Amino acid sequence: MQRDVASFAFAPAVKVRLISAGFLTAKDIRDLRPTELSKEAGISQQEALEVLQEVRRGPAEQGAAESRLTALELLEREQALGTVITFCSALDQALGGGVPVGKTTEICGAPGVGKTQLCIQLAVDAQIPGCFGGLGGQAVYIDTEGSFLVERAVDMATAAVQHCTLITKDTEQREALQSFTVETVLSQLFLFRCHDYVELLAQTHLLPDFLSQHPKVRLVVIDSIAFPFRHSFEDLSLRTRLLNGLAQQLIQIASQHSVAVVLTNQMTTRIGQNQSMLVPALGESWGHAATQRLILHWEGKHRFASLYKSPSQREATVSYQITPHGFRDVQLPDPSVIPADPSLTPGLNSRKRPRVEEGDPSDV
Amino acid sequence: MDWDQVELNPKVVHAVKRANVKTFREVLSLSGPDLQRLTKLSHADVHHLQKTVAAAVQTDPAVTALQLYRGECPFLEQHQKLSLGCPVLDSLLRGGIPLLGIVEIAGESSAGKTQICMQLCLSVQYPRKYGGLEAGAVYICTEDTFPTKRLQQLSGLQHKLRPEVPADVVKSITFCDNIYIEHAGDVDSLNSCISKRVPILLSRGLVRLVVVDSIAALFRCEFEAKDALLRAKHLLAFGATLHSLSHRFKTPIVCVNQVADAVGDSDLVQSNFGLLDKKVLPTLGITWSNQLLIRLMVSRTRFSLQEWLPGLAAQPWHLGSVLRTMEVVFAPHLPQSFCYYTVSIDGVRGVKEEPAS
Repeated sequence: MQRDVASFAFAPAVKVRLISAGFLTAKDIRDLRPTELSKEAGISQQEALEVLQEVRRGPAEQGAAESRLTALELLEREQALGTVITFCSALDQALGGGVPVGKTTEICGAPGVGKTQLCIQLAVDAQIPGCFGGLGGQAVYIDTEGSFLVERAVDMATAAVQHCTLITKDTEQREALQSFTVETVLSQLFLFRCHDYVELLAQTHLLPDFLSQHPKVRLVVIDSIAFPFRHSFEDLSLRTRLLNGLAQQLIQIASQHSVAVVLTNQMTTRIGQNQSMLVPALGESWGHAATQRLILHWEGKHRFASLYKSPSQREATVSYQITPHGFRDVQLPDPSVIPADPSLTPGLNSRKRPRVEEGDPSDV
Repeated sequence: MDWDQVELNPKVVHAVKRANVKTFREVLSLSGPDLQRLTKLSHADVHHLQKTVAAAVQTDPAVTALQLYRGECPFLEQHQKLSLGCPVLDSLLRGGIPLLGIVEIAGESSAGKTQICMQLCLSVQYPRKYGGLEAGAVYICTEDTFPTKRLQQLSGLQHKLRPEVPADVVKSITFCDNIYIEHAGDVDSLNSCISKRVPILLSRGLVRLVVVDSIAALFRCEFEAKDALLRAKHLLAFGATLHSLSHRFKTPIVCVNQVADAVGDSDLVQSNFGLLDKKVLPTLGITWSNQLLIRLMVSRTRFSLQEWLPGLAAQPWHLGSVLRTMEVVFAPHLPQSFCYYTVSIDGVRGVKEEPAS
């Protein structure tokens, strides 16, 4: 196999020594003995042993990420992973079905706008059985602020179970409903509590093992990632480095274990020339960390969610509301109430949009 | 950091010590390749080191929400709540104040914030089955002197406010002895109070409630408008200290905040909280709001109770009272809602019926 030495996961120092000693492909190394390799390349016996073990492993044993895939295979894999719905159909549509599994999504917003509500809703929705359009998985909730109150999760779980009970049509769904009750939803929601950034870093190191032991987990929520990082950092470059490392680890966890990672961020004020704006906290470089960014905000008395950054979806703003049942669409007025029959009064069809609107982009 | 409490190969511990990596925090803050470079250990060893240290830092096991709901989780107590001393107000908050986190009460002057705080200081001393936490309270005053006469009046009339508690239980509690009053005139003395004196009281189990009345006074006058960044830094540190106190000792923290007029052109500021119809907004900005679990706003209405509910005013404790509102602005488990209340001689009581007009 003509694989480059540089593409293996060795320590940089070892790689440099191997390449400068003239070993450029895997074939060059494979047939040597450890003592020969260590003498030729100037690395220790232990390192030589590790290098040979890695090189001699067949392609089937190496991680799936290292084998070659065509773009079509990648697309099929992504689509097979699925999404976690939010129960707000407008937002689901804007997101392309829901929060995507295998990627990281960031939710920013001012206090009280609904970030924690959306997170708890997603933790419940990840468990909706497959025959109802969900993933039938488990959820991990890492709470750094202490805002996860179990009674709210009970409210949302009860509403979700009720909703599924009402739309049950066939026997498969009825059977799935047996194992989709409020108790099972609560029992499959794993909660971790981190009080500062050291505990959060520790939890992220322990997460891969936990996910390997619980392969049914499809959602990991960190609420919020901003809180432990916004105080006690005299050295902001350390904070940036830690956040970047954390983001990398989370992206890796998302793709290796097929989970959707959701992070919550706070807002902070940025003073512009003559006005102040609310921007997501944690700095400019954090903006690049998550794959998708959703910003929740108020406009007057209404709440809106804007998809700000996404590699595959358009920017969109949708409105939502928080009800006692959880995160939902805003109820539009019932169309059956409109009295006029459109076929009788063609000119006065109030349900049709006028053909030329002010500021219609197609006119420009 | 105690390297003996983690199970590691002595070779690894030696390499780490030689690399001058002293604390668990440093081990977790350095990336894998950095640690490899500093300690000259192999990739597998460093990976194992970080995981072992992580397991030593995060000792609490994973908990399911079901266990939390059933109260099987001692380190995350969510069933118990601190009652406000009135069933109407408690039902607005679905049981009372949660034990973990900071609750803010914001409002204009003479809306009743101090009265509510004093009532909380009394209700925390009741036994658990009456909504208390069987301990006292520490009250940190930053504005006026503490109204001791009013506290004595309130504690003498507790049997009237809480008729559901047996009289002998009420008599057995010496309310005024268990309330510790601190004064803090500036930010530094406030910080030293909550980082030195309050933890001592909490660790001895003497108090299970901390009230700060008010935080706005100090932070607004000590920092001018141009020191916004410095103020934000202090607020964040202050909030972090309060949070850690709350979680270490499972103690609710109540902070009183002032309000300021909402300046007309800043719809941005108003729309931050969905408080479009309010003429006043809590002070200290979004930095402080981010630290709160629950925000309550209280205000006086123009009406007295007799005008709105003539039938109810016949009861003696409501006589001559101005009607006030308590509103939930945000809370993780509560919708935006409000209720009316009055302040009478024996304390704060919620009003149950909706006014007719």
